[in-house]
Amino acid sequence: MTTATQGAAAEMAAIVGESRVVTDPAARAGYAVDGETPQCVVYAPSAEQVAAVLRHAADRRLAVIPVRNLTKIGLGQRPRAYDVALSLKEMNQVWYYEPDDLTVSVEPGMKLGDFQHFLSRHNLWLPVDPPGGEKASIGGILAANASGPLRLRYGTARDFTIGMKIATTEGKIVKTGGRVVKNVAGYDLAKLLIGSCGTLGVIVEASFKLFPRPAQRLTFAVAVPALGQARDLRRRIQQSALEPLRILLLAGEAPRLLGPDSGSAGRERALQLWIEAGGSAAVVDRYARALDDLARRCGLTIERLDEEIAAPAWARLCDAPAALAPALPITATLKATLPIAATEEFVGRSEEEAGREGARVAVLAQVGVGVTRLVVLEAERNRLAGLVARLRGAASALGGALVVEQCPWEAKSEIDVWGPPGDDFEMMRKIKAAWDPSGVLSPGRFVGGL
Amino acid sequence: MHPSPLVRELERRVGREAVLWRPEDLMLYEYDALSSRRAPDAVVFPTSTEHVVEIMRLANRERVPVVGRGAGTSLSGGPVVAEGGIVVSFARMKKILEIDIENQRARVQPGVVNLDLSLAVADAGYYYAPDPSSQKACTIGGNVAENSGGPHTLAYGVTSQHVLGLEVVLAGGEVIHTGASFWDRPGYDLTGFLVGSEGTLGLVTEITVRLMRRPEAVKTLLAIYNQVGDATRTVAMLTAHGITPAALEMMDGVTLRAVEAATGAGYPTDSAAVLLIEVEGLREAVDEQADIIEQVCRRNQAREVLRARTEEARARLWRGRKNAFGALGRISPSYYVQDGVIPRTRLPEMLDDIERVAQRYGLLIGNIFHAGDGNLHPLILFDSRDPAECERVVEAASEIIAKCAEMGGSITGEHGVGLEKNELMPLIFSPDDLEMMRRLKAAWNPDGLLNPGKVLPSGKMCGELRIQVSMGSGASTSAVNGRLPSRRRERVGSGGGLP
Ligand SMILES: Cc1cc2nc3c(=O)[nH]c(=O)nc-3n(C[C@H](O)[C@H](O)[C@H](O)COP(=O)(O)OP(=O)(O)OC[C@H]3O[C@@H](n4cnc5c(N)ncnc54)[C@H](O)[C@@H]3O)c2cc1C
Repeated sequence: MTTATQGAAAEMAAIVGESRVVTDPAARAGYAVDGETPQCVVYAPSAEQVAAVLRHAADRRLAVIPVRNLTKIGLGQRPRAYDVALSLKEMNQVWYYEPDDLTVSVEPGMKLGDFQHFLSRHNLWLPVDPPGGEKASIGGILAANASGPLRLRYGTARDFTIGMKIATTEGKIVKTGGRVVKNVAGYDLAKLLIGSCGTLGVIVEASFKLFPRPAQRLTFAVAVPALGQARDLRRRIQQSALEPLRILLLAGEAPRLLGPDSGSAGRERALQLWIEAGGSAAVVDRYARALDDLARRCGLTIERLDEEIAAPAWARLCDAPAALAPALPITATLKATLPIAATEEFVGRSEEEAGREGARVAVLAQVGVGVTRLVVLEAERNRLAGLVARLRGAASALGGALVVEQCPWEAKSEIDVWGPPGDDFEMMRKIKAAWDPSGVLSPGRFVGGL
Repeated sequence: MHPSPLVRELERRVGREAVLWRPEDLMLYEYDALSSRRAPDAVVFPTSTEHVVEIMRLANRERVPVVGRGAGTSLSGGPVVAEGGIVVSFARMKKILEIDIENQRARVQPGVVNLDLSLAVADAGYYYAPDPSSQKACTIGGNVAENSGGPHTLAYGVTSQHVLGLEVVLAGGEVIHTGASFWDRPGYDLTGFLVGSEGTLGLVTEITVRLMRRPEAVKTLLAIYNQVGDATRTVAMLTAHGITPAALEMMDGVTLRAVEAATGAGYPTDSAAVLLIEVEGLREAVDEQADIIEQVCRRNQAREVLRARTEEARARLWRGRKNAFGALGRISPSYYVQDGVIPRTRLPEMLDDIERVAQRYGLLIGNIFHAGDGNLHPLILFDSRDPAECERVVEAASEIIAKCAEMGGSITGEHGVGLEKNELMPLIFSPDDLEMMRRLKAAWNPDGLLNPGKVLPSGKMCGELRIQVSMGSGASTSAVNGRLPSRRRERVGSGGGLP
C-alpha cells in the first residue's frame, strides 16, 4: 500500500485516515471502470465518513464511483470522469435485527451470501437470486435493482425494502421509510435510489422485511423440443393455481452449457424449462403431480432433480456470465424486459438475430415475468453494436426494452447501453440535479448520460 | 350570481357541463372522509388527459392551486382544499381502457373504482390485489396517490407493488409516461416515487396495474379472545413463526359490539377481541396453515376458533370488518380514525398504552388493526358539539401517534399525511430528510400549485395534529351513519345535476 500523499488521495486521507486510502497503481487498476482507473481507492468505514468523502468530492469536483465487489460495475455508460473509487467493503454490519418482526437493517457492503447465512439461523432469508450470486453486495443489488428468477414469487428489492439511509454529495445522511413493514409517511426516496446505479447518493444502510424460507424446495426440468410448447406449458402453469418460486427457460447455448451434468440423453439439444416449487411436503408433492399432468398435456415429460444437483445448477443459472466466463470468451450480457406474453417470441428472435451477426447466445428467460438474459458468446467486437441494435429492435417491436448489462468498454462508444430515454427523461434529469447538484456521482453512466 | 372569469375560462376549455361553481355545489367538495376546511373556487370534471392539460395550463397562467380528487374517501385531508383553487375531480375519467389477461395487467383511468376493476376481471379468474376497506367507493387514482393498503396487502403488498406505469400531467401541463407495461424500464423509478405522493407531484391520468390470479382456496378463521393481550400476542407469535396469512385483522370489544349491532356479522359481543384471519393459496397449503394458525391461537388462550364453512359465512365476517368504521359511527356522534404503525412484536404493549390514553382522557377508543403488518387504526369516539372533548381527542390522538414514532414506527401506514399530519413529520424525519423531500417536490411542483399545504411541514406550526381545523364543523361526523358520504357527493359530480 502506497502512502497517500498528494492530490485527491491526500485530501481523502485527511477524512478517512491514510490507511484507508490506496494509490498503488496495481490496486487502483483493480477498480478500473470501463477502462478508467481512479486516482485512489477510499475505504469508508462508516456512514458519516461516506458523507464526508462525498461532500469533499463535491466541493473539489472529484468524480466518485461507489463500489463493493464490482459484480455489477459493468452496468452503465463509460464514466465522464472517475477520480475516486469509494469502497464500501468495510461497511458490512447488521445494525438492527428483529427476527420476530421479520425486519433487519444492514450496511451496503454486506455480501449476499454472508447475509443469507446470518439470516438462516432463524430460517429467514432475503428472497433474491441476482447475478453475482453470493458475492453480490446488498448495496450493489439495490443500486442496480438486480434480481433473478425468484422475482416471480417475491418481487425485487423495491418490494421488500422498507427504509434506507443515504449519504448525499452535500455530506448529509438522509433517511427514508423506516423499520416497519407498512409506511406511507413522506415521499419514498428509496424507490429513486433503487436502480439508480450510484448516480444519486450512496446507500449507507438498508432496511428490509424478511421472509421465512420455504420448508422444502423441489426443482423440475423439462426438455422442450420447440418454443411453442414452452409457451404452452408456461401459460398452463400461469393459469393454474400453482405459484412456483421460479421458472426459467433455457435456450440457445444455455441448455448445453448450463444444464445439469447428469442430463438425460438428447436434453442438451432441446430447450429446457426449469421450475422450482417451495413449501411443505404436501405442497411440493402437489406441484410434482400437477406439473407432471400439465407437462403431459403439452406432450412433454417432466423430471425431478435431486436437490444436490438442483441447488448448484440454479446458482449457475442465476449468475450465468460468471459461470461461463472461465471457459468461454463472453462478449456481452444483455437483459431484455418485455410484456410477459411476448417473451418466448423474443427468445426465438434473439437466437435468429444472433445467428445473423455470427454470434452464439445462451438465453435465460424468466418467462413468468418477462425478463430475458442473453449471454453473447464469441461475437466479433465490431459486430456487437449491430447485434445490440438488432436485439433492441426486436425487443421494442414486441413492446419491451433492452439494456446492455456488460460489454467490452471499447464497444461502449458505439453502443447506448440503456437505450433511448422516454418523455419522462426531463424529470429524471431534475431528480439527478436535486440529489447531486455538482454532478460528481458516477457521472455520465446512467440513462441519457445522467 | 355570476361565474368568475376563472370559471368562464374553465368552461371554455372543458365545457360548461364540466364545471361547478355555485356555492351550494362547491360546498359538497369541502370534505373528505376526515375533515373539511374550505370550499374550492371551482370543481372541474375532465374526461380526457387533454382536458387535464388545459386545466393545468390555465392554473399556471392564473397561479391558482389545483387539487386532484377521486372519491373523496381520504382520511388525511388529501383532497381537501387548503388554500382555495380548482378541484379536479376524476369522477368522469372512469374507463377501464384495456384488460390484458395474457400479460396480467390492466390500463385504467384514475376515476375507476377499486372494486369495479376486480369485478371486471373476475370472470377471467383474476383480481386487483390492493383492497382498501373503502374499495366500493375509492378510486384507483386515489389509491395511487395515497399508496393505499388493505386487509389483503399483508401478503400481496400495497399499491406501489401493483402499479407498473403511469401517465401524469405535470405541474407545467406537460404529459409524461413513467414505467411501462413491463418491469424494469431503464431509468429512475418515477412510478414508484409518484405512488404515495398524495397528488403533490402531478395529476395521474392513466394507470397500468398488475392483475393477480385468484387463489384456488381460501380459509377464513375467527379467533375469539377474552383478553386483548392474548390476541396481540397471537399476532406477534404468528409473525415470529413466519406465518404470513393473506389477511390478519384485529377488532377489540368496543368495535365488535358496534359492528355486531350494525351488521349482524356473527361476532361475539361478550369478548375482548377477535382476530379475523384469512389464508389463501393452494388447497394443501391453506389446510396446513389454517391448522397451524388455529394451534397458535389456542396456545394464546383463544376462547374459540371458528372457521367460515361457506362463502356466505365468509362474506358475512368480512362485511363486518369492512363496515367497522361506519358501525362505530352509529354508536357515537363523531369519531376520529387514527393510522399509525409499530413493529408487530410490540402490539401488546401498544394496546395497553392506548387503553391508558383512553382512560386518562376519559374517551372511548375502538381498535381496528391491520394487525399483521402492525398498522393500527384506533378510533376515538366523541361528540363534536363538546369543544372540551374535541381538544382531548386531539391530545389523545397525538399521544398515540407520538408513541408509534417512539417505538420506531410510522405516523401513517396507509391513510397518508395530507393536511392532518404534515406538522408531525418531524417526529420521524430530521430537517435534512425533510429538506431532501422538499427539494424533490420543488423539482416537480416548483410553484407549489399542486395540492399545496400537504405532506411537508409548513414550518410555521410545530408538531401539531391538525384535525382541530374540522372539529365542530362536522369532522368525521360525515361518516357517522356508516355510509361513505363522498360517494353521495361524487354522484352529484358525475351525474346529471350540473348547471
Ligand atoms: C370507511 C373507510 C375505510 C378506509 N379503508 C382504507 C383501507 O383499508 N386502506 C387504506 O389505505 N385506506 C383506507 N381508507 C382511506 C381512503 O379510502 C384511501 O386513501 C383511498 O385511496 C382514497 O381514494 P379516493 O378515490 O377516495 O381519493 P380521494 O380521497 O379523493 O383523494 C386522495 C388523494 O389522492 C389525490 N388524488 C386523487 N386522484 C388523483 C389523481 N388522479 N392524480 C393525482 N392525485 C390524485 C387527492 O388529491 C388526494 O390527495 C378508508 C377510508 C374510509 C372512509
